[in-house]
Amino acid sequence: MTRYGMLIDTTNCIGCYACRTACQRQNGLDATIDYIRYEERETGKFPYVGHETVPLQCMHCEDAPCVAVCPTGASYIDHETGTVRVDESKCIGCRYCMAACPYGVRVHNTVTGAVEKCKFCAAESFEGRAETCSCVEACVTGCRIFGDLDDPDGELSRAIAEKNALPIAGDRTKSKIFYVR
Amino acid sequence: MTYEPIWGSIIAWYLFLAGVGAGAFATSTFLSWRHPEATSMRKIGHVIAPVAVAVGLVLLMVDAEAGFHNPLRFVYLLGNFGSVMTWGVVFLGLFMVVSIAALVLDIMKRNVPRWLENVGAVLALCVAVYTGALLGVCNTFPLWNNALLPILFLVSALSTGAASVLCVSIVRHASEFNRVGVLKKFHFCLPVIELLLIASLLFITQSNSEAGMQSVLSLVSGEWAVWFWLGVMVIGLVAPTVLETWLLFFSSKEFETSRKAHWISFASDAGVLVGGFLLRFLIVSAAVPLTVVVPLL
Repeated sequence: MTRYGMLIDTTNCIGCYACRTACQRQNGLDATIDYIRYEERETGKFPYVGHETVPLQCMHCEDAPCVAVCPTGASYIDHETGTVRVDESKCIGCRYCMAACPYGVRVHNTVTGAVEKCKFCAAESFEGRAETCSCVEACVTGCRIFGDLDDPDGELSRAIAEKNALPIAGDRTKSKIFYVR
Repeated sequence: MTYEPIWGSIIAWYLFLAGVGAGAFATSTFLSWRHPEATSMRKIGHVIAPVAVAVGLVLLMVDAEAGFHNPLRFVYLLGNFGSVMTWGVVFLGLFMVVSIAALVLDIMKRNVPRWLENVGAVLALCVAVYTGALLGVCNTFPLWNNALLPILFLVSALSTGAASVLCVSIVRHASEFNRVGVLKKFHFCLPVIELLLIASLLFITQSNSEAGMQSVLSLVSGEWAVWFWLGVMVIGLVAPTVLETWLLFFSSKEFETSRKAHWISFASDAGVLVGGFLLRFLIVSAAVPLTVVVPLL
């Protein structure tokens, strides 16, 4: 089985937001809609201070709260890729999934009224499947690695083990994006 | 970092109206059990129940934009029985059927059978609890994610539902209104219980996380403080309690049945309705989510 996942190394993130811009272009989004949001903070104590930028997007959880609460079954887990998807033809736009998502990464498209989010675009079966996700490609400092978590020899699995990358908020939803912080 | 609430006043109206409708039907059932002679008031409850819930459901559909533009998508609503919202659709659907049946029987001047009243009352309780559980299962919002909220919304639904029936009956059937003492005494207790539940909700929520603290602060001393203290606490709970205490326990019998006392009761029940809506609106609006790295304000 394939279980797509990602690693984000925030220690190299410079907060340029290129990943969000690339994502918006990839998905044809308005400037006001983004699948990637950022939480930023100052770290340390004067004079030894730092700045941390944490990009957040759909974690493609295995125990996905959005899928659990969706009344129509529009939010679902695609078992072939392990990704969480939204079937827009079933979404009524009730935004229950947005309230349930612990990461606050689902967005309401004010034009269609439906809810959208990161698709792991490289895993989506659109024509001319990309090598990797556009956010990974766009990252100027190479913070991001996309790959198959079930491939123990893959670049992603090795990097997660090597850098001791962890889910952003513990393993409570079995999320598939791993962070180095 | 700032946070934009996911739901707004439309959803608050929906939660409020579903509660009023459920409470109005429960009031009718209570009347047929305890005050069987108050037939006009019972019928008022049977009118308010389906009308209030239907208006609420229309608002819900308008708010669910993607479904509003493609109404066929609403057929998927029974698609996931793990979702509280799906259960809500079941309860609301059954409640609409039963409450419309009761209304039709009333219009045809036929007796509403006791079993139908009881089934409707049970469904009304389910609807009222559902409006709280809908928010309650969202782990991300400490103000919602607790076992008190469904109970609070249930008590508020019974209180606002009874208030709506009493308000209409003051205008249309004052003589019956004078004779439903037991209903009035039960109705009197509800805001007192609500005060206790709200105090507990805020007390527990502020202690469980930064987001919980922010939610409570925005209610008691922040953005929503005026609405909370004046609207929910004074107009919705304390004033009705004080007025009804006076009318029920300290005023003379003659005054209690006078037209002046009726209008005081009307004002107090109108206050309960205003407070009931504001309670839903503030609970929906003031909830701040837990976040991953940086607390939201």
